[in-house]
Amino acid sequence: MRMQRVAKLAKRSLRRFWRGLREWCGDAAYERYLHAKGRQSAEQHALSAEEFYVEQINRRYSRPNRCC
Amino acid sequence: MTGAFKFIVWLSVAIAGAGALGAIAMHRGEPLNATWFVVAAVCCYLVAYRLYSAFIAARLLALDDTRATPAEVHDDGRDFVPTNKWVLFGHHFAAIAGPGPLVGPTLAAQFGYLPGTLWLIAGAALAGCVQDFIILFCSIRRDGKTLGQMAREEVSARGGFIAQIAVLAIMVILLAVVALVVVNALKSSPWGTFTLAMTIPIALLLGVYLRFIRPGRVLEASLFGVALVLFAVVAGQWVADSPSWARAFTFGGVSLAFLIIAYGFAAAVLPVWLLLAPRDYLSAFIKTGAIFSLAAGILFVRPHILMPPLTKFIDGSGPVFAGKIFPFCFITIACGAVSGFHSLISSGTTPKMILRESHARVIGYGAMLLESFVGVMAMIAACAMPPGVYFAINSPASIVGGTPEAAATTISSWGYRLDAQTMTQLAHSVGEQTLLNRAGGAPSLAVGMAQIFSNTIGGERLLSIWYHFAIMFEALFILTVLDAGTRVGRFMVQELGGRVWKPFARTGWMPGILLSSAIIVGMWGYFLYQGVVDPLGGINSLWPLFGIANQLLAAVALVVATTILLKMKRLRWIWVTLVPMAWLVAVTMTASYQKIFDANPNLGFLSKANSLTAAIGSGQIAVAKIAETHRLIFNQRLDAAVTGVLALMILVLLVEALAQWYAIFSGHKEPVLHEANYVATKWAEGFTGSAHGDD
Repeated sequence: MRMQRVAKLAKRSLRRFWRGLREWCGDAAYERYLHAKGRQSAEQHALSAEEFYVEQINRRYSRPNRCC
Repeated sequence: MTGAFKFIVWLSVAIAGAGALGAIAMHRGEPLNATWFVVAAVCCYLVAYRLYSAFIAARLLALDDTRATPAEVHDDGRDFVPTNKWVLFGHHFAAIAGPGPLVGPTLAAQFGYLPGTLWLIAGAALAGCVQDFIILFCSIRRDGKTLGQMAREEVSARGGFIAQIAVLAIMVILLAVVALVVVNALKSSPWGTFTLAMTIPIALLLGVYLRFIRPGRVLEASLFGVALVLFAVVAGQWVADSPSWARAFTFGGVSLAFLIIAYGFAAAVLPVWLLLAPRDYLSAFIKTGAIFSLAAGILFVRPHILMPPLTKFIDGSGPVFAGKIFPFCFITIACGAVSGFHSLISSGTTPKMILRESHARVIGYGAMLLESFVGVMAMIAACAMPPGVYFAINSPASIVGGTPEAAATTISSWGYRLDAQTMTQLAHSVGEQTLLNRAGGAPSLAVGMAQIFSNTIGGERLLSIWYHFAIMFEALFILTVLDAGTRVGRFMVQELGGRVWKPFARTGWMPGILLSSAIIVGMWGYFLYQGVVDPLGGINSLWPLFGIANQLLAAVALVVATTILLKMKRLRWIWVTLVPMAWLVAVTMTASYQKIFDANPNLGFLSKANSLTAAIGSGQIAVAKIAETHRLIFNQRLDAAVTGVLALMILVLLVEALAQWYAIFSGHKEPVLHEANYVATKWAEGFTGSAHGDD
């Protein structure tokens, strides 16, 4: 019983870590974009994954995003 | 946990921190173990975070979790993205952690380990973290506005313009100095040059994959890219061992400088997806991995600190850079304790992703504490090597001589024992022809890191691989700063140019793109070239200039923060930003004055120019060298002028702010805050911002 609890906890922690990692590195950015409430109300058609990727990095690297 | 138990735990942490700090400060005799540094830093950070940041959050800023943040109000999935607290912490840390906290403390180790370590810890807790935290808060309350916009609205229009110019100036000097660090690390090093050169085709490959094959799949592409880069580190040894290949990848300083200038221009002009973004992904993964590995290595090896607490160079006669502890220790450490550049990340980017106001505490204050810890690790790595070796690597040839024998004689005469055989053997062990005269901090940090890593895994046999891994890691993320900075600088030039001639500001107009890229690359490229041909190694003049520019920007940020807090009627606690601001103004003004006017030619730009002029006049300079000397004289005067302009800008901003503060105090002017309107949050308590819902 205790082992099961530990295994469940470990599985949940790993899942959280995996999701956090995907969000940190930008893998989950497109999913975020599709579900963003502000976008849903403002845009009729969502960008494709490719269009979104190019648009997003163009914006990101147009302002200071890496420090000394 | 009961209150009494908590109190005992925190009291123990405080006592452990104070004890470790005492040991570091008072210890004499046998070499001290690096564990003391780790304990002192971590305990001080914990106490500062638990007490000081909590005080700022509750009393000074009164963070309000019932208030919707810009990420909730605007949530567009692009800039405004509600992000989990720890994910955003990772984002923010990856953005603020650059080469500064690695290079600065390594250079400041010339004073001994004590001044730099104390400033890294105290400066971060009392100034750097405070700046990052409060600017982040101010920007959250203003829909994620940038520092320049806040300066314009809250201080004055001129204040905003000054902030904009200061950012551009710091960018130019920063890019030049980090490029110089790379040049000094890679000159005459076919292994290092090959490895770094290989990161370009690897990045291009990743760029194509992420654009056309699996759009946006950053994780898988980056892991594949990291594996290729690690292979390139190993393959570099084969290149270095092959005479013909080694020749193809062996460059002098000037050639490397031009290659880097060409790379910077290409990165600014080419589509972002092709080169810049994939390199940044590689860099982020390798940077994070290397920093955590270094922490683990230090804890595992627990090296002894061989550098004394204070060296004879506290009198200002240091070979790495000239100047006394005050103000140059603080100017040199720069980003590890306080970084003005962080205020650009804390405003504009991070505030648009934050979920709750209270998260600003861990993200703003906490991430800077971690950055300071990176600085402490760099200090440990630099001080764990024999001081003689440290000075041989970091001193210019014009001071210690260009051969191992000459360097050993000079450095031994300073009281730091060194024999020529040690340097030759060390260079051989790390797979280099020479480690002498590599000012810039990167090679000595790489030697320190390689020794720590090889004592953890592989022993002496893997020292050369670890050394080149460390060089690759530093050079890779320095070049990422370089290409990202050049592109941002291009936009700034276009924006400023657009005020004179409107079409220039159009970001999609190719002639404008090419011209603005050439202007920004030309500006930092000039300073880089000047540094490469400087007989004193360039770092000697450029790093202090960068430190002054960076600390001035921090002063600008703290002026803005103080003005906003005054308008918020937080007079009672205004010392929280006012004291670090006054300190930074004092440090930067003193440093600027000394760099321009000091009578010592090694320190003062103008006296150096005058001494060179006198040398020409008295016939001490060979005819063949006269044109080169005239160029050096011009460069010294240019450095003096740049320093003067930077100092003047902060003085003007300060006068503007003082006028504003006087008007508020005297009641002549009703303080107007430009905060966004209060909107109550609709998110339930406990909402974590996961893209996949809460679990």
